[in-house]
Amino acid sequence: MRNFLKAPEGERLALMGNEAIARGLLEAGVSVVTGYPGTPSSEVIMTLHELGAASGIYVEWSVNERVAFEIAYGAAIGGARAAVTMKAPGASVALDPLVSSAYSGVEGGLMVLVADDPGPHTTQTEQDDRWLGFLAKLPVLSPSSPQEAKDLTVASLELSEEVKLPVILRTTTRVNHAVGDVVLGPLRAPKRATSFRKDIPRFVRAGMAWNLERHRWLNRQLGTVEEAFERVSAVRNTVEGSGRACVVTEGTAYNYVAEAVRELGVDARVVKLTLLFPPPRKFLSEALEGCERVLVVEELDPYVETIVRSLLSELGRNVPIYGKTASGIPMEGELKTGTVREAIASVLLEGSATGRPTTAEPLQDVRVPPRPPPMCPACPHRNTYVALLMGIARAGYRRDDVPIFGDIGCYALGAQPPLEAIWTEHSMGASISMAMGLKVAGYDKPVVAVIGDSTFFHAGVQPLIEAAHKRVDVLVVIADNAVVAMTGHQSTPAWSELESGRKARPVPIESVVKAIGVERVEVVDPYDFDRAVEAFERLLREPGVRVLISRHPCALVEARTRGVRRRYMIVEDRCTGCLACVRVTGCPALYFDGSKVRIAEEDCLGCGLCARFCPYKAIEVVAGG
Amino acid sequence: MNIAIASVGGQGGLTLSRVLAVAAVLDGYSVRTGETLGMAQRFGSVVSYVRVGRRVLSPVFAEGEADFLLGLEVIEAARALGLLKPGGLAVISDVLRPPVSASLRREPYDKAKLLKHIGSRARLLVVPARELAARAGNPRAANMVVLGAFSRQQRVLTEGSLRRAISEVIDPRWLESSLRALELGMEYCEKFSDPRGAETPGGRESEAVNH
Repeated sequence: MRNFLKAPEGERLALMGNEAIARGLLEAGVSVVTGYPGTPSSEVIMTLHELGAASGIYVEWSVNERVAFEIAYGAAIGGARAAVTMKAPGASVALDPLVSSAYSGVEGGLMVLVADDPGPHTTQTEQDDRWLGFLAKLPVLSPSSPQEAKDLTVASLELSEEVKLPVILRTTTRVNHAVGDVVLGPLRAPKRATSFRKDIPRFVRAGMAWNLERHRWLNRQLGTVEEAFERVSAVRNTVEGSGRACVVTEGTAYNYVAEAVRELGVDARVVKLTLLFPPPRKFLSEALEGCERVLVVEELDPYVETIVRSLLSELGRNVPIYGKTASGIPMEGELKTGTVREAIASVLLEGSATGRPTTAEPLQDVRVPPRPPPMCPACPHRNTYVALLMGIARAGYRRDDVPIFGDIGCYALGAQPPLEAIWTEHSMGASISMAMGLKVAGYDKPVVAVIGDSTFFHAGVQPLIEAAHKRVDVLVVIADNAVVAMTGHQSTPAWSELESGRKARPVPIESVVKAIGVERVEVVDPYDFDRAVEAFERLLREPGVRVLISRHPCALVEARTRGVRRRYMIVEDRCTGCLACVRVTGCPALYFDGSKVRIAEEDCLGCGLCARFCPYKAIEVVAGG
Repeated sequence: MNIAIASVGGQGGLTLSRVLAVAAVLDGYSVRTGETLGMAQRFGSVVSYVRVGRRVLSPVFAEGEADFLLGLEVIEAARALGLLKPGGLAVISDVLRPPVSASLRREPYDKAKLLKHIGSRARLLVVPARELAARAGNPRAANMVVLGAFSRQQRVLTEGSLRRAISEVIDPRWLESSLRALELGMEYCEKFSDPRGAETPGGRESEAVNH
C-alpha cells in the first residue's frame, strides 16, 4: 500500500496529512528525520520507517524532543536537509535549543513539525504553537489540507535554506489526521552533510557580543522571509473573491470559511494566510485594501486577529474587526463548521439566521452511556494498579492516604472509573518530581510515582537523580511494557532492533536506575499478581527512594506476536451479576447484559485478572482454549 | 456525499473510512476524511467523517449533515445519530457492546430499543455484520460487511473502486475474507426491503457532487 513513498510525480492518491508530509520530506530531499512519538504527529516517522535502513536516510525516534531537535539541527548546520517531528507539548521540551537555533541559523534546510491539537483530542492542553514564531523568532507556515501539508513541507525546507533559519510547520489534528486527495511531486535525492565550517561567533552562544550581533542578524533575516516565501512556496497567502467584507483565516479554519461563504452565497473576500510568522505585512496590507469590515476566523487564540489589529492600526485604517470577542467564535476547542457559518452570517450578512435542520434532538427515551478510552483488556498496567492499591491497603493505609502521581502514557487511563488510581497526570516525567515536592513539603504518608518506560527515558531520569540525590522517601513504579504504546507502539531505548531495521544497543532501565545510585531496585511481572502485591506492600513500608519496575509486554503487542494463550468463559449458573469482576478491573472485554456478566470473546486476551476476583468462581478457563 | 462512521476503537472504523477515501479518489472525486487516531482511542468512542464530492474542503461536517451513518456498534450509532440528516440512511451492525461506564451503573442495554430509537429518526438497515463476517472467515471484517450493505444503497462509489480500495488498504492476509465479507454485505442488502426503498439509492448522485 505504501507505494506512495516511491510513486512517480503526478499520481493522485488518498493520503493522510502525516503521510503527505512524509512524502513531502522525500520530495524535499531530507537525509535526517528525528522526533518523539506524539499524537497527532507520529505517522510521519512511522510512514518513513517503511523505507528501511537501506534508503540512506536516517529516520529514527529519539529519546525526547529536545534531543531529536538537536540531532536534526546538527545535521542542518552541516548542510544536510533535515526534519524533526513532535506534538505541541514536545515543542516546549525542545524550546531551549529551538530558540538558540534562531541565532546560529542553518546551512541545509531544517523543518520543525509541531502538531497542535485543538479539541483537544489527545493532548493535555490546547497550547497554540503559532506563538512560537514570535517567541523563537522562526518562520511559521500553516497548511489547510493534506495537499498543502505536503507542498509546504517542501517549501519549508526550501525557505529554511534560503533564509538560513529553521522553519516551523505548524499543523493541527484536522490536517495531520485528515485524509485528502494529494497529487505527488517529484522526488529528490537526499541532501547530506557536505561540510561544517568552523565559525565561532555564529555557533558559540557563549560570547555576549556575538549573541547581540546574531540577534541583529536574525532580525535582518526575518525581514527577508515574506519575499523569500513568495518566491519558493507553491502554496501562497491567497485572496478569493473581491467583496468589501473580508474574512481572514488560516489552516483548517480556511476550509470551513470557504465552504460557508460558498453555501451562504456571501459576497466576501476570503484572505487565507499560509505564512503566519513573520506576519506577511505586505501581503495583508494589500489583501485588506478597501475592506469595510474584517472577520477573523481561527482556532484557539486570537493570533491572526492580533496581527490584523496591529497592522490595520499601524496603517491608520479604521475598520471594524470582528475577532474572538465579537464573532461568537470560541477560544477553546476545535471549530465546528456550524459555528463558522453562523459567525459569517451574523457578521457579514448582519444577523440572518442560517441554522440548518438537524435530527439532533435530545435522546429522551434512550440514555447513551459515555465511552472514554479505557485501559485495554489484559493491560499489564491494570494489574500494576490493582496490585498497588491492594499493597497500599495491606501496608495499613487507606486508599485516600497515599497519593499516586501519574505520568503521560496509556497508564494515565488508570484515572478512569473504576480504578481511579492516579491523582495527577501533568507533563512528561513530572510524576517523580511532583511526588518529591509533596514529600519535602511535609506530607507524612507515603507518596508513589507511576511512570511508563518510555516516559522514564524521555524525562524521568533527571527527576530520579534529583530524588535519589536528596534522599527523598518516594516509591517510584516504572510501568514497563517495553514499547511507546499509547502513540502506536514505537521503539524505546531498550530495543535492540529498531523499526528502520537498524541494530541498536539496548539501554536497560535497571542499569540506569542503579547507576543513579538507587539502592532499592526490584523487578516484578504484574501478571505474577500475588508477588506484585507483596512487593508493593513491602516497599511502601521502607524509607528512601525505592524503584519497582513492573514489567510485562504490552498486551496488544503480545497478542499479536504470540497469540492469545487462554480463553475465559462465564459459567452462567454461577454468575450472580454481582459485578465484582467489572468493579475491580474495569476491563472493556467484560459487560453487563442486565442480569449477568458477559465476555466479549474477540476482545478478551486471557489475562485472567477478572477470574481472580470472582467470588463465585464463575469465570473459568475454556478447556483446550 | 457525507458519511459518518461510528464505532468502538479497534473495530475497524478507521479502515472503513480509508477504504471509502481511496475508492473515492479512484472514482475521480475529491475526498476529505476527519478522524482522531492513536491508541488513545482503543475501546473508546470513535467517529470518522468522510466527505466525497467534486470539490470538498472541510474534513468534518456539522450535526444533521450526513447522508449516511455507518455504525459498527449499536450504542455508538445511537450516539452519532445527530450527525445524520433527516431521512438519512443508517446502516448498522447489530453488535452491542456496552461500555464499562454502563456496566458499573448496572445499566442494561436493550439492543431492540436502541435500534427502534435510531429507526424513529432515520431510515434503518440493520446488518448481522459479525455473523456474516464470521461466515466470510474473519469475524473482524464486520466493517467490510457494513461497507458492502452501504455500497448497494448509494451510486457515487463504484463496486470496482471499492474492491480495488480494499485490496490497497487491507493487509494481504485478510484480503480474501474482507472481499468475501463485502460480498455478503451486498447480498444481504439486496434482500433488505426498505418501506421507502424506491427513493433510497438514486437521486443522491447529483446532490453528492455538488457538495
